[in-house]
Amino acid sequence: MNPGLKLILMIILVLEISFIENLSLNVIIIIICLIYLLKKRPSSKQLVGLFLGPLIPAVGIFLSQMFYGNGGSLLAGVFATRIYAYVFLGACFTFSTNMTDLMKALEQSFHVPAKFVYGILSAFNLLPKVIQQIKVIRTASLMRGVKINFWSPKIYFKAILSALQWSQNLAEAMESHGFVEDQPRSQYHPIRLTQRDWSQFFAILVVFQGLVLILNSKFL
Amino acid sequence: MVNVTIQDFSYAPTKKSGLILDHVNAQINSQQFTLLTGPSGGGKSTLLKFIAGLYPKYAHLALSGQILLNQQNMTDLNRNAVTKMVGMVFQDPDQQFAMDTVQNEIIFILENLQTDPNQIDKILQQVLDFCGIEELKHHSINTLSGGEKQKLALACVLAMDVELIILDEPFANVDPAARLDLINKLKDLQLHHHKTIIVCDHDLNGYENIVDTVLYLDGQSHQLNTLNPTQIHSLFASFKNATNSKLAINLPNKHQSAILELTDFKLQTADKILLALDNFKFYAHQTTLITGANGIGKSTLFKALVKLTNFQGSILFNQVNINKIKPIKYAQQVSLLFQNSEDQFLEITVQEELELSKKMRQNSAFSEDAIQAALEDLNLAHLLKRNVYNLSGGQKKKLQILLMLIMNPPVLLLDEPFSGLDLESLKVVIRLLQTAKLKFNQTQIIISHQLTNLDQLVDLHVQFSQQTLNYLEVL
Repeated sequence: MNPGLKLILMIILVLEISFIENLSLNVIIIIICLIYLLKKRPSSKQLVGLFLGPLIPAVGIFLSQMFYGNGGSLLAGVFATRIYAYVFLGACFTFSTNMTDLMKALEQSFHVPAKFVYGILSAFNLLPKVIQQIKVIRTASLMRGVKINFWSPKIYFKAILSALQWSQNLAEAMESHGFVEDQPRSQYHPIRLTQRDWSQFFAILVVFQGLVLILNSKFL
Repeated sequence: MVNVTIQDFSYAPTKKSGLILDHVNAQINSQQFTLLTGPSGGGKSTLLKFIAGLYPKYAHLALSGQILLNQQNMTDLNRNAVTKMVGMVFQDPDQQFAMDTVQNEIIFILENLQTDPNQIDKILQQVLDFCGIEELKHHSINTLSGGEKQKLALACVLAMDVELIILDEPFANVDPAARLDLINKLKDLQLHHHKTIIVCDHDLNGYENIVDTVLYLDGQSHQLNTLNPTQIHSLFASFKNATNSKLAINLPNKHQSAILELTDFKLQTADKILLALDNFKFYAHQTTLITGANGIGKSTLFKALVKLTNFQGSILFNQVNINKIKPIKYAQQVSLLFQNSEDQFLEITVQEELELSKKMRQNSAFSEDAIQAALEDLNLAHLLKRNVYNLSGGQKKKLQILLMLIMNPPVLLLDEPFSGLDLESLKVVIRLLQTAKLKFNQTQIIISHQLTNLDQLVDLHVQFSQQTLNYLEVL
């Protein structure tokens, strides 16, 4: 599906489950997402992370609802599974979409201005550099006899300074490579928004609403 | 065709500082190969950015006069018009790309220029072929070496199909063979593809008989002089005298003691092995020069020696495995002079940087008087209040070297310490390094492409090639 449309679909689904208090719905979403994810063959490390990552907030919200809330264990279960549903929906999205395609789709089909699209993309490409830079900052300071930890203001000062420098250089680089704000660009690899994308989009939404209706009439 | 006219042009970086370009004039004609040279910190990069139309948007203040592109004032031209005429390759290979891979960067450019998508593949292929980086097409730009990045930067400018190509110290991190290759490619572009070339460089190797015009920016008078043929001839002659030819050099002897020893050592990136050594020694109290082609892994070797990158096998420092030494202890014993000067800085002003080094150093071998004298000799004494990030490339490099010499670690690794230095500064730096070695017993290991005047300093020469290191008998 067109990555931009997929993002919108995800946002709609996430918003909907935020307002619907239904345990079965959350569980069904988690199972469907898990099946989808398994088809994408994630590494075992990624899978473990998916289950363990949300564990603390999920348990936390469960316990606080159990002991301090007035909705009882059913509502506590809804809140806890909701966190997992969010994470699994998000994972389905990130596992099936690459950043460049998403940004290009937003540019081409959803009229997001090119300066945001390429600004975000190039910032994204800077990430490995940021990580390496933090190592360099720490080593450089050790060589000057100064030990800086992750909570030292100096590391942030240097990192921000590097970021400012990079952002100016990036702007110069983009401009010297012919990028001009608000000027039309051609597309080497057009990302289309097809009939098929739209039908998938509506099909999933309709099925989802059906599911919500059935589950709500039965259990509430 | 593109003619550049610089008319009565003045510029000062801030209101308080003096002019770095003082009412300069010059004429650069279409389809000429122009070399811009002069001492570091003289404002060459600034002038080039003005010609490329990147200033005054990114810098500001106090300018008189004008720069004309084909008789039109630069400030009257819109960005689009300038982009179609002028392309620039920057000094720092790390900071001129916006996208993730080689291919995507070129596509980004072509899309910006609204190139017909059907033409993109063809142009992409042509420019990569011309620059000899076809095999890097799908590589991530983050994994390229400095020299490979500069070839890509040139490919980018070619993709833009501009007539005027401006290159700011493009070969500072490029090995001699690739450098000659690139200079010849530029000449080819000038002669057969009707390009106008302006290159700024301190290192004059390879330009004789190639350039049509030489502009000299004088650091003292802030004047830009167009040299006549006699002056050009003597400029190259004096440079050649300073450049040494093949000199004999000693091999390490049995009496020398090892200070760093690499055993079963292996260094690799995601897709290739850079270095594999059974056993290799660096010797104490010597200056060892490491040379080798770009991208072969010299800087990565230094990163391994200061534990900034992973390696297999072991590194012994004075017979102790470096993984068993506390990080801060080790960092103060074996320090690195980073290739990028700014990586070394921790404070804001020149003064604060000097104070930090003086406060934290382990020994005071470098006396207060010697520091003052060095500041004067390096032409830094008047810059104490300046923000280190606003210094010129050459000034940053000189300050960085001084800071690490004040720290005076037992082993100092220097990654391209001479890039961007003019001949005078180079002599001072070499003298300071000489003193640190002879008087303070420092061990120095240097990576440098620039070999001018190095014969006075270097004791041992290591060649890095075919995934191994070997001591050589010539420099």
